Amino acid sequence: MTDKVIYAMYDDDDVTKDACQTLVDNGVHVADVFSPFPIHGIDPIIGVKHTRLGIAAFMYGITGLLLAIIATRYFMVTDWHGINIGGKPNFSYLENIPSFVPILFEFTVLCAAHGMALTYFLRNKTLPGMPARNPDPRTTDDRFVVEVRLAENSNFSLDQLNDMIKETGIVEIDEKTIK
Amino acid sequence: MEFQISNKAKKVTLGLMGVGLLLLIVGFFFQKEYVFPTVLSDHEVYVEYWGDQGDKEADVKAEAEEAMAALGYELDFGDEGEEHEVHAHGAVEEHGEGHGEEHSDEAHAHQSPTFEWHIHIKHLEAEGHGAHAHGHDSAPSESLAAMFTNGDIAMSDSHFRRFWSNLLVNGFFFFGIALGALFYLALHYATESGWGVVLLRIMEAIMSSLPLGMIILVIVFIAATLGLNHIYPWMDSDVVAHDDLIWGKVAYLNKPFFWIRIICYFGVFAYFMNWFRKTSRNQDSEDVEKATASHFLMYRRGALFLVFFAVFSSTMSWDIIMSIDTHWFSTLFGWYAFSGIWLSAMIMIMMVTLYLKHKGNLEYVNSSHIHDVGKWMFALSFLWSYLWFSQFMLIWYSNIPEEVIYFVTRIESYKFIFFAMFIVNFVLPMIFLMSADTKKSWPYLIFIGMVIFIGHWFDVFCMVMPGTLFEEWNFGLLEIGMFMTFLGTFVFLVLRALGKSSLVQNNHPFLEESKHHHG
Repeated sequence: MTDKVIYAMYDDDDVTKDACQTLVDNGVHVADVFSPFPIHGIDPIIGVKHTRLGIAAFMYGITGLLLAIIATRYFMVTDWHGINIGGKPNFSYLENIPSFVPILFEFTVLCAAHGMALTYFLRNKTLPGMPARNPDPRTTDDRFVVEVRLAENSNFSLDQLNDMIKETGIVEIDEKTIK
Repeated sequence: MEFQISNKAKKVTLGLMGVGLLLLIVGFFFQKEYVFPTVLSDHEVYVEYWGDQGDKEADVKAEAEEAMAALGYELDFGDEGEEHEVHAHGAVEEHGEGHGEEHSDEAHAHQSPTFEWHIHIKHLEAEGHGAHAHGHDSAPSESLAAMFTNGDIAMSDSHFRRFWSNLLVNGFFFFGIALGALFYLALHYATESGWGVVLLRIMEAIMSSLPLGMIILVIVFIAATLGLNHIYPWMDSDVVAHDDLIWGKVAYLNKPFFWIRIICYFGVFAYFMNWFRKTSRNQDSEDVEKATASHFLMYRRGALFLVFFAVFSSTMSWDIIMSIDTHWFSTLFGWYAFSGIWLSAMIMIMMVTLYLKHKGNLEYVNSSHIHDVGKWMFALSFLWSYLWFSQFMLIWYSNIPEEVIYFVTRIESYKFIFFAMFIVNFVLPMIFLMSADTKKSWPYLIFIGMVIFIGHWFDVFCMVMPGTLFEEWNFGLLEIGMFMTFLGTFVFLVLRALGKSSLVQNNHPFLEESKHHHG
């Protein structure tokens, strides 16, 4: 099934945001916005679902914390039982827990951060070497592109959409047919 | 947008103050000075007292006799107490191990206790053995010692140490809240932030209560200087003369230099507080050009204040709090105290914002502003916990006697509140304020805010009390009453200050940005 896609380009983040607001108010469904940086407050306008990355990060953090607890307990109490380090013999994990807090913290952060970064890359299919999916390389520099798909806006004709977009302060407009 | 303190709010705050004052006055007359027992065997207790109320010895004896008679025992105090006072030090040491050591690290000029008893406990002849044998499991000496250590048998405190210590705790805590608000206001100007402009007047109102804490602290310092309380050991020339460690710090810790520093800190804080308040009120009626000039003036003064504050908030907390434990030192202490101050101020800002929003006075404050203040509460709880733990862990791990003594006192005599306070202040915000939704939710914010507000009061409590009351601390009417009095007065002053100017800074250059703030 083929579909027409309109790419409207802007040169200012506020103009982009206002344009999206105007389009959405007119009943147009905006498929996506490409921007070199996050635009504050645009997510609710174009109806992006709230990210669950935070929940994932929390899970990775908890995993890291548990792994670190198991590891430090095995290394310092089970395996090297009773070694006296700095006047603190490791006979009991609970009594020595303050000395393990830095490593517990660091490992928690390590797991949360790396897990979150990898999840983000995988979810967005942006691992190194993968083809770029943005419509125009300038959106990684100083331009903003709003993507509107015809199939998602069956109430409007292509011309109607074009007319509406042209009134929103664009600098360029482009049309593509995708399969 | 104007705000006037409502009659209801007036009644609540002044009522809190009145009830608190009443409790405080009742509590004032129950301050105790303890005598310290050592259990030698099931029927022997050794008691010594080092203070200057030797004339009350007979009363305490009578009290102990009465209490033990109720349990069916008779006390033999071993010898006549008066005589013992002139005994040589050596006479004490034959009683057994332990006592000699306790004496040697006392800083008192005279080397023997004011009085000491060697109590032998006997069963009352008239009473049958069986009648009491099942009544209590512990040895009679243990029960007697417990009555001494928990203050059931004690003398009234002629120095009112609990009163003075509480005055310092509350004075510092509420001074800190006002100072934290002033700091945050300066930070807001110095960083040219836009989001919080609609909250600046609330910060101004909170920092206007700075004089309350300052006056209380100055009263405590004057009393300390005159020798009316013994909060600062280094102010007592007797102690300093017999203490090499304090003697080595005399160049910094001496009364004149202390007063120069205090006047300097308080003077500068009060000056900036007044200046910011005055300039921002004048700004309301200036034309745009002049108002923008005023804004840039405040931006530069804010940066100037931050430089002063960065250095002297540390030395201030050394002077006011850390020098109570004169032997001890920690370079992290200033930051640790500061993070507590900042967080308490943030909670206060949040509470006042929610109150005003509830009253409908803040039409421009939206959930994004509340979310951002909530973020600060969350983040600063972590900062505070991080600093608390860094200080604790390093000292605990290295276990150097002169450092670790600070935590030994706290863990031995304040174990519950010391750790409970840390866990509450760390875990509660971590779990309940982690999600973005709870940072905007009123019930969560009010509940968590109030709990950690009180938690941070206990933090200051744990900073001060172990150095002034040692194991003789207590938590009762005096503490609750004084906290209520201060809280009532503080909130009353804040609400009254809010009524003195418009709640929105109409000419602030970033007002529009703040109105449309979207997190």
